[in-house]
Amino acid sequence: MKPTWRLFLFIGVMAAATTSSGVAMYWNLPPLPPPSRYGNILINRTSEKNGKPAVTFSHWSHRMRDTCRVCHFELGFEMQVNATEITEEKNQKGEFCGACHDGKQAFGHTEAHCAQCHNGEIAHGEEQFDKLDNFPKTYFGNEIDWVTALKEGLIKPRQSMLDPQYSPMAFDKNLSLEARWMYVPPAIFSHEVHKQWLDCANCHPDIFNVKKKTTEHFEMRYILESKFCGVCHLKVAFPLNDCKRCHPAMKD
Amino acid sequence: MNARGKAILFCLVALICGSLAFAETFGVKKRAKKPHEYGNVVINNFSEGQNIAPVVFQHWVHRAQFTCRLCHVDLGFAMTAGGTGIREEEIRSGLYCGACHNGKEAFAGEPKARGETEKNCDRCHSYGKTVKFDKQFAEVTRGFPPARFGNRVDWLQAEEQGLIKLSDQIPGVTIERRALKNPEDSLLKAKETGMPDIIFSHTKHAVWNGCELCHPDIFGVRKGATVYSMQDIFDGKYCGACHGKVAFANTDCQLCHTKEVF
Repeated sequence: MKPTWRLFLFIGVMAAATTSSGVAMYWNLPPLPPPSRYGNILINRTSEKNGKPAVTFSHWSHRMRDTCRVCHFELGFEMQVNATEITEEKNQKGEFCGACHDGKQAFGHTEAHCAQCHNGEIAHGEEQFDKLDNFPKTYFGNEIDWVTALKEGLIKPRQSMLDPQYSPMAFDKNLSLEARWMYVPPAIFSHEVHKQWLDCANCHPDIFNVKKKTTEHFEMRYILESKFCGVCHLKVAFPLNDCKRCHPAMKD
Repeated sequence: MNARGKAILFCLVALICGSLAFAETFGVKKRAKKPHEYGNVVINNFSEGQNIAPVVFQHWVHRAQFTCRLCHVDLGFAMTAGGTGIREEEIRSGLYCGACHNGKEAFAGEPKARGETEKNCDRCHSYGKTVKFDKQFAEVTRGFPPARFGNRVDWLQAEEQGLIKLSDQIPGVTIERRALKNPEDSLLKAKETGMPDIIFSHTKHAVWNGCELCHPDIFGVRKGATVYSMQDIFDGKYCGACHGKVAFANTDCQLCHTKEVF
């Protein structure tokens, strides 16, 4: 196909995309909360049923202390809100939140502290966020460049709860993922950056196959449905609004 | 509605149901099994056909007492759930589960062991029932060396430390053979550049599996003869025949990919 024809086709597809509601969902990015609330969730699987306000959980305050793998593997937290069977009893026994919130490592599960989590207020604790003013900045999400903050030693999250000697696997390969759309430059994926926070098993093999180009349906529209990269990069990790962070050759 | 209309409606419903079911199966993290669920197998070849609850077989309770080889080689259990096609009469005649669950080695269906007054059906045919088991996972595994995945128990270390003692034979049922000298560790090259190579320990595997659980069906014995990828393993083949189902999870990369990269 000649380049001019490609251009016409591209314009045609784009025109169709703007008129068709089916394709318009491509750019249906969820609204962003204020930076201090990005990644905050209200956990309410059983709380209100049991007469207690829902639990506020802020990812930003926890990711400073622990890597994603500590909670989302070692402690067994699911990647979906309200999917984890957390109960007060289990917390008291040292499972889930109680693994750290034991009165030693972090405030304990005592009556004096109930409202620190069970407050039903998504913005709870956001005044603490101002303390992070000196952190490196980005444009979206928490507006904090957590990767650089980690690199510069501003935060030292724990790599593992179970194994103090744990260090991520020696595999730093960069992947260049070709985009399906013409004129969209490839996404550059860094194993080195991801492995600092995540276990291999956070992504492989459930979300991504390990064999090249064998992950079916790995497309932007599914990422926007919270699949693939969207499992983290819509809710907690920097949001998809930050196109150039993955597609670095993209023009403004 | 005419036949054609019905057919179109059926196709539409099938398409919608299919896409809904399909939508959940890719691009997301699956729910992790709870430590006490890891390795549990539901066996339902004939149970529900006979209006009996399917069997829930707990690997953890058995592997704390026996080698894998004993059941999967000597007693002839297949490596996939439902692959054996066990019949009640076979168990009663001393095959499969019946090799131990005969009222002497372990409880039988009929009350035979001391103190038993009721039938023991529910202890195996437990799917969907609330059964109070003698052995509770948390109690049995308390104090065992921890692992990051699966049962969250490092079974290899538990065995090495003598916390569990494995039987490799059932007197009168299976034959004890002299163990072969284990071949040396093998270095398996990872295909991916920069990925640490794998050091495979025959010694560690032979404790549980002998030779015959893996060779020659799963792995040929000539070096390099069996070609497989990590994705095959994730799909339950090769190492994945055990690792990811019962043995430590195949997602704990650094337990196998241990060779230093220079």
